[in-house]
Amino acid sequence: MAGTAERMAKNQKQVAISEFFEKNKHFLGFDSLTRSLITAVKEAVDNSLDACEEARILPDIKVKITKLDDKKNIVELQTEDNGPGIPKRSIEKVFGQLLFGSRFHAIRQSRGQQGIGITGVVMYSQLTTGGKTHVRSKIATETSAAVVDIGLDTRKNKATKSNEGREVWEADDGTLKEHGLEITCRMKAKYQRGRQSVYQYLRMTSIVNPHADITFVDPDGDVHHWPRVTERLPRKVESIKPHPHGIHLGTLQRMCTESTDTRMTSFLYKNFSGVSSRAAKQLLEAAEINEKAKPKSMKPDQIRALLESFQGERELGGKPVKLLNPPTNCLSPIEELLIKKGLSKTIDSRFVTTMTRAATVSQGNPYQVEVGLIFGEGMAADKPVEILRFANRVPLMYQQGGCLLTKAIESVDWRQYGLDQAGGRGVPKGPAAVLVHLASTNVQFTSEAKEALADNGEVMDEVRKAMLEMGRGLRKHLEKKKKMVKVQEKFELVNDIIPAIAEKSAAILKRPMPNLSGSITKIMGAVIAESTTHWNKTTKMTDVSITLFNYTSRARAYTLLASWPESEGAGMENNTTGGRKEATGVWAWKLETLEPGTTYTISYSLSGLERGDWTETDVFYRGSQEVIGASKMDEKLLDEIRRQEARANEVDHEEDVAPPDEETVSAAVPVVSEEAKPSGQQTLMGFGSDA
Amino acid sequence: MMSASHSPEETKAALHDVVTEMYDKIIKGEAPTMTLPVRTKNNIGFDKSLGVYKYGKKRSIRDATSLGSAKQLLRALYVVEFIEGMIDDGKSSTLREMYYISESWGLGKFSSQNESNNLAEDLEVVTECLREDFKLRPEEDGARMIGNVTLQERNRRGEWMRINARDDVGDSGYGVPYNVEEEKIELLEHDVKFIMAIETGGMFDRLIENGFDEDFNCALVHLKGQPARSTRRILKRMSEEWDLPVVVFLDGDPWSFRIFASIAYGAIKTAHISEYLATPSATYLGITADDIEAYDLPSDDLSPRDVDALKAELSDPRFASGWWQDQINMMLELGKKAEQQSLAKYGLDFVTDTYLPEKLRDLGLA
Repeated sequence: MAGTAERMAKNQKQVAISEFFEKNKHFLGFDSLTRSLITAVKEAVDNSLDACEEARILPDIKVKITKLDDKKNIVELQTEDNGPGIPKRSIEKVFGQLLFGSRFHAIRQSRGQQGIGITGVVMYSQLTTGGKTHVRSKIATETSAAVVDIGLDTRKNKATKSNEGREVWEADDGTLKEHGLEITCRMKAKYQRGRQSVYQYLRMTSIVNPHADITFVDPDGDVHHWPRVTERLPRKVESIKPHPHGIHLGTLQRMCTESTDTRMTSFLYKNFSGVSSRAAKQLLEAAEINEKAKPKSMKPDQIRALLESFQGERELGGKPVKLLNPPTNCLSPIEELLIKKGLSKTIDSRFVTTMTRAATVSQGNPYQVEVGLIFGEGMAADKPVEILRFANRVPLMYQQGGCLLTKAIESVDWRQYGLDQAGGRGVPKGPAAVLVHLASTNVQFTSEAKEALADNGEVMDEVRKAMLEMGRGLRKHLEKKKKMVKVQEKFELVNDIIPAIAEKSAAILKRPMPNLSGSITKIMGAVIAESTTHWNKTTKMTDVSITLFNYTSRARAYTLLASWPESEGAGMENNTTGGRKEATGVWAWKLETLEPGTTYTISYSLSGLERGDWTETDVFYRGSQEVIGASKMDEKLLDEIRRQEARANEVDHEEDVAPPDEETVSAAVPVVSEEAKPSGQQTLMGFGSDA
Repeated sequence: MMSASHSPEETKAALHDVVTEMYDKIIKGEAPTMTLPVRTKNNIGFDKSLGVYKYGKKRSIRDATSLGSAKQLLRALYVVEFIEGMIDDGKSSTLREMYYISESWGLGKFSSQNESNNLAEDLEVVTECLREDFKLRPEEDGARMIGNVTLQERNRRGEWMRINARDDVGDSGYGVPYNVEEEKIELLEHDVKFIMAIETGGMFDRLIENGFDEDFNCALVHLKGQPARSTRRILKRMSEEWDLPVVVFLDGDPWSFRIFASIAYGAIKTAHISEYLATPSATYLGITADDIEAYDLPSDDLSPRDVDALKAELSDPRFASGWWQDQINMMLELGKKAEQQSLAKYGLDFVTDTYLPEKLRDLGLA
């Protein structure tokens, strides 16, 4: 009898595991034929990116989808990376391990742990086609690659291996592959185009992983390539300890029972971030727990009391115990310049603005918001803007409407920034794409499907602030563009049309060609600045040219100033007209008197930049007569830049004298107060002055 | 009969005046300009001596201070040069051909056919010359005509051809050429009591099939929608030279009202030559707004565009008379419009046996 019971219990467990997959398809990402394919690609690519990041390798990722049976919707998916590979003995564990979430204690920003990882793909493949997943893995220390077919024994809930072997792995160009992983599997799935597609997923992935080189071969054999735009790997993220504000009862309970600490004070001080030894004592006092008590001996009531004092519900001296914020260096933002590059490579456009807000904390969890906006030609003007949502560098492709990030975008009145929006609410229309990235150690989703971020007032505020800032940049750009169009028209008018009218009328009347200067001065009556900023393929520099035209009847004198990305490491070359540095990122030229009807041209090149880094130069002037095509220098802003500069220099100086210990910094980091923030938010032209 | 035409020398001199205005402005150090009458319904007024609507005194100055108008001036110069060339070479071209020729005019190139048509009209208005003086002709041919009228037309070889528009033509009738001035067409003789202008081809063919022109002793002219200038001009000439009444039979909608106004009072776009094109004695026969009710005709609801057009007509000086105001208001109240061919509701002969005879009897023409 006992044997039967045991067998039954065992059976029950087996059923539970295969049923688990079936029942939870929707949040494992395998609920439709289209989505299953996206999920499979996602699991594989996320693993590749994580592995490369961990091993500090610049990722080269290839994804290939082939249709095998159109009627039955059978496709083959092959992914390949240049990551460290998996040692032969571990392959089985990585691909056959079901339901082993291992990151309960480590709190850090990670790509996901969505679903059950690559094992889910192996299982889905087997369930829908009966086939095995073919794995080829090469690690650097071995000369050949390990190959194996992985399946799952759903009875025993473990991986099965077959056709094990070793082979030489040659890359497409015939060279030997140093290291990497290749996965090939068949599954019932459907390849589709559109907003929710493998293509879109990879495109979005490439935007937020500018260090990755991604190639995708679609079922039609078309090759899509998103090249690497930076050699810089994302910063290695540090794990941090949990913060008292973000902990749940169950976790606290477990931490206590598992603790080997002898006293509660050291338990708190060692296992939590933001808790000094003084704060530890205060927390315990508020919870009425003896400092010397053993964590293991904590009673449920006491743990509950401790949690209450964590959350400030139990006070000490009429006030909640003050805790430091957790460190934010555990976050890995993409950073403005790289977002810019990422966006520029996938969308052809003239104008990109990006912003990385300072890291901050909500309910004990560090988080950071980054946004980007790209505007211009390549996109439809009468369609809603494209919203690109990301959480910890993972694209969010479903449930756009229910997502906090979308709601934040919808809550902005975009009409004031030059986009169409019915009633000033909702997703705006226009030739633009908006990117939002939330990096956090604890991303809150609306559901297990992990496709939409849950409401959070603080995060919403951060996103909104960033949107408004970008909106202002967009408005400035559009105003400038409009102005430039007008200037261009005036130029065409006086340079081409008026001379043609004079010539033609003289010819018809058989009279001499009249002098035009009077008419032109009359028509223009203005001083005009025209500037161009172009990438020069040959010299690999950005050429800038600024020409000032005096179309008035009097002589004029000006000082011209131009913005340039000095703080982004650019160098100014071939500046034959001299001038001097006015402030960081602002160069000035004092011009000689410009006689009526004459012009003056300044030209220089910017080195140390890449294509797309610098596409627009702002021109300013000092002088009494208005200059069309330039802005009057705002001296107050200039002073502000100089002040920031001075402050930054001081900081530099201090750092030179006493380089701080890393540990100290991470413990004391969260002092990111509003006024000390060296952000790009107050600068003159929207380029950062972060020293 | 006064002639609308100008001699080549007069035409060239008038065109040169336009060019001189621009040239002189440059000499004076100012922006080149072109002065022309305002061409909207706000600047047309009734000319008592001519009995038609003409442009008033409002002038607009197109100056080269914006890119758009500067380009217009430049195009005008190219057109002037082109016309002079044609006059000298004894050639002519269609407006469409001119549009394509402008491809080689560089900055003076037209961006649409509409633009070149408008500019030709601008020049007509400023110089008070006719399109025919400029050797420009429209793309569309004129109307078709059937009835016992005889005229002679000078053909391509310069010979006069005598044509009777009943006996010498097929079912499609006599095709009115684009130039119907005296050098091209002479009206010889007729045996009709009146001329009926008809909007649609279907109705024109219906009347012919039913032998209406012979039964009622009239000439039928197919307008083809908004009538070409030559159609309006030949109606005018027949009406004046032969002293014949002209009745106009159109659909019953706001656009037909406008067609009638252009025939009887002069079109806004061509108000500079209204005295050559308009037939003030023409009468609107139908479909009227009250016909829709009186004959219980199948009708369509007015579209928002129709309503806007009717409202605009209420403030158009050409529709200021009590009868027109009543008709327009009635149509607005009904909210309906009806086509000529809706009369077929009562059979194919209803229009010729009942509707038209009733209408003509009121006018004393049947």
